[in-house]
Amino acid sequence: MTDWTIILRSLRARAFSTITTVVTVAVAVALMLVLLTMRDAGRKAFERGGGNMHLLLSRDASPLVSVLNGVFYISAPRAPVLFSEFEQFEKNPLVEWAVPVQLGDSFRARWPTLATTPAFFTKYQPDDTNPWRFGAGHALNADFQVVVGATAAREAGLSLGDHIVLTHGFPTRGTDPQAAHEHDEFKFEVVGVLEPTGLAHDRALFTSLQSAWIIHAHDRIEAAHRAQGEANHDHDDADHAHDDEHEAPITAADLTDTDRKITNIYVRVRTRAGSDASASLPVLFDRLRRGQGFPGGITVAQPRQEMSRLLDIVGNVDRILLAVAGAVMISSGIAIMLALYNSMEQRRRQIAVLRVLGASPGRVFGLIVTESAIIGLLGAAAGTALAAAGAVITAEIMKQRLGLVIESRLDPKAVIAVAIATVMLAALAGLIPAAAAYKTSVMRNLRPMG
Amino acid sequence: MAESGAAPALRITNLRFRYESRADDERGWALHVPGLSVAPAEQLLLTAGSGRGKSTLLALIAGLTDPQAGAIEVAGTNIHQVSGHRRDRFRGTHIGMIFQTFNLLQGFTALENIKAALMLAGKPAEEQDAKARKLLKHLGITRPDALVEQLSVGQQQRVAVARAVACDPVLVLADEPTASLDPENARAAMDLIQGICREKGAALLCVSHDPSMHARFERREQLDELAGVAEQPA
Repeated sequence: MTDWTIILRSLRARAFSTITTVVTVAVAVALMLVLLTMRDAGRKAFERGGGNMHLLLSRDASPLVSVLNGVFYISAPRAPVLFSEFEQFEKNPLVEWAVPVQLGDSFRARWPTLATTPAFFTKYQPDDTNPWRFGAGHALNADFQVVVGATAAREAGLSLGDHIVLTHGFPTRGTDPQAAHEHDEFKFEVVGVLEPTGLAHDRALFTSLQSAWIIHAHDRIEAAHRAQGEANHDHDDADHAHDDEHEAPITAADLTDTDRKITNIYVRVRTRAGSDASASLPVLFDRLRRGQGFPGGITVAQPRQEMSRLLDIVGNVDRILLAVAGAVMISSGIAIMLALYNSMEQRRRQIAVLRVLGASPGRVFGLIVTESAIIGLLGAAAGTALAAAGAVITAEIMKQRLGLVIESRLDPKAVIAVAIATVMLAALAGLIPAAAAYKTSVMRNLRPMG
Repeated sequence: MAESGAAPALRITNLRFRYESRADDERGWALHVPGLSVAPAEQLLLTAGSGRGKSTLLALIAGLTDPQAGAIEVAGTNIHQVSGHRRDRFRGTHIGMIFQTFNLLQGFTALENIKAALMLAGKPAEEQDAKARKLLKHLGITRPDALVEQLSVGQQQRVAVARAVACDPVLVLADEPTASLDPENARAAMDLIQGICREKGAALLCVSHDPSMHARFERREQLDELAGVAEQPA
């Protein structure tokens, strides 16, 4: 027998109280760990949203909106950028690469479509260090092809060789997919399915800019004809001939400058090899902010900074959550203290007996503090297990709902820090009951006797 | 066991005690024992009326509370001059205590009750089990691995006695050991206590107001008389 036996017997003798206290501590620890881990992982997932682009250009109202739309597909940018503006900008010597992007269509009004050039898959990387990886098929090499993000492919059940039509308009909450206008004159073939990136891109479909322009040109021409037909009741032969002509597929040759519209430009400025920082970045950023090269003005955003700013604002929420978790921790500490303190009443006799048998008050004090710390340790262990499971579940939910892949592994440093804090808090909670044990009057508690 | 074979198991000299809360009581001491000595292996019955400080005297002898004056030596050691945890350890190794209500450790087995006593007296863990089992068997405890609360009253009494003598004490203090027992069990309990003390060579100081105990002890003292005798010549 050792002191441990005495502690374990004591915990066992009050099994119900011990278990409920351990569960209370475990829940607090799990909450704390999940919040700490998720906060960090969530922040990383958002911040890397911009991938290897330095700047995002659009005509959105603000840089933040620009990033939310251009990287996270929140909504379609309202004002377009002309492709000719892009072509001009691309020549800027400070620019390493610029990728034009058009947002506005979707698949079944649920999965956004991004129209772009092949450079999107070769120059832009969704992740700082990893290029796009194809789970199946290949990148776009002709018009009327689509590459499908991993989540979109899974959710929509798309696979290589499928033929789909795109829907006019961006996915918005509450949109009735049946009511949306489908570009059903043009079929797109699925030629590639991407591996998950953990970003919003996973929910998107990608096609060539030219395809997007053509389907919109088709709409424009068709609308023009309808208007013309309504204005002119005399259907002459020429009109019929024109009708026949527009039944024939519209090609790139039919596109006008106004058809060639994009909504965003992904930009990377020149950097020295192996470095992400560039002296050109502030220069270009400043020039663009002043609207240089874009007569209509342009909104220029640094995605990483914008997300960081957004998270700083939203961060208050997780600070509140952390404070709540902290409060839960402290109340679990109080629960330990109460459980032990209440047990003191029943244990005074036991403590007195131990004293008679030769235990010093200090030793009795140590037994109670250790017992309290063990409750903390058990709670920390159970809480870590709970958090590990919770993190996996939370990560899965974030992936499903937000398309964010987050690291679901608990941060070992957080685990160790929280475990140590818990054990210390528990030991601290044991001090008051231990002091009560220390002061226990031996003779008074061994009665009834004479 | 006793370091000094010649020293009495217990020697009380001019002991005076009063409760802290009643320190301003001018009428005198709650307990005054001018002198009392118990030889090694001697068995003494100390009688007193209810509330005359019997339990307080035992607490003083065990070093659980300190007197205002006088000395108590157990096997030649003035227990009140030993401080801190050393006194607790000294108590664990030199003094065994038996209580009216047994005061066994609830939630522990009979065996564990004995092992706890051995552990707190500093006996190495590897010696505890064999020694405790041997003692329990010797005292007729048939279910050493049962929780004490599952044992009969008679068996619990045996475990309490076994625990008191487990560390081969010099002195066993028994506080009304039979008060909660029926006459038959009381007889058996006293047979056991006196027998094992004799066997182990431990002195026994039994405090009781049970008249049926008188015949069992060759030496009997009355607590009030101890003080009275001393104060008369003064």
